[in-house]
Amino acid sequence: MKRLLGAVTVVGLVAGLVMAFGIAPREATQGNVQRIMYLHVPSVWVAYLAFAVVLVASVAYLARRSEPADRLAHASAEVGVLFTGLTIATGSIWGKPTWGTWWTWDARLTTVSILFVMYLGYLLLRGMIDDRERGARFAAVLGIVAAFNIPLVHFSVYWWRTLHQPPSLMKPGPSTMPGVIVAALLVNFAAFTLLYVYFVTRRARVLRLEAEAEA
Amino acid sequence: MTADNWSFVFAAYGLAVVVLVTYWRFLVRRERELSEGDTLRRHGSGMPEPQTERRSP
Repeated sequence: MKRLLGAVTVVGLVAGLVMAFGIAPREATQGNVQRIMYLHVPSVWVAYLAFAVVLVASVAYLARRSEPADRLAHASAEVGVLFTGLTIATGSIWGKPTWGTWWTWDARLTTVSILFVMYLGYLLLRGMIDDRERGARFAAVLGIVAAFNIPLVHFSVYWWRTLHQPPSLMKPGPSTMPGVIVAALLVNFAAFTLLYVYFVTRRARVLRLEAEAEA
Repeated sequence: MTADNWSFVFAAYGLAVVVLVTYWRFLVRRERELSEGDTLRRHGSGMPEPQTERRSP
């Protein structure tokens, strides 16, 4: 199952690269640098997904004290932090040629940085508390509180005047982008979602083995 | 004609490959270490090895 999921994920990622570099056309305004979008936008999608899973798993843990739910929250938070970091880094690389700067304290960039730091804090909190049950409880509370930042990040481009463009796909109503660009994005969304599932499954297994080794 | 800035594209994708492959390798290595430790503990405590499904010939 693990190998099958891994193989399907690799196929998805290769398909995503083919769509991004082979099928999607060169964007008229930005040129080929816009191809970073096929990496940047799916990365932030995975970050949103990961932190939403942390929220649900944290609620489940507090309600039932279920260890698998706690491991799912932990694994998902770690993968979410990884993809948030990737989102920030790829956005910065994209920002330099298009905005003329690596970084600016724009509303979207600031809120996503806060999101990153909050979940980094979540992981540090888990590592700092020796009592596993207590650490899981505190982390679950933080996992619920931190999730309130997700809509703040997403809607920041509407609520404040920002340099960052509004959402390309994750918005109500039909997309204004050409169909081939939407298709390339959707293939990469699917591939990154598979990668998320693969990473979380493996990380949760590692966490289970660690707990068994400590017991 | 807009400049293509391919170096930025390769930097972004290259960084992503390095980060994701490094994380994947960390997961594989950690899982292997823990699985080997688990096998050694089972041997040490005299516990039976987990049996895989047996197939009839």
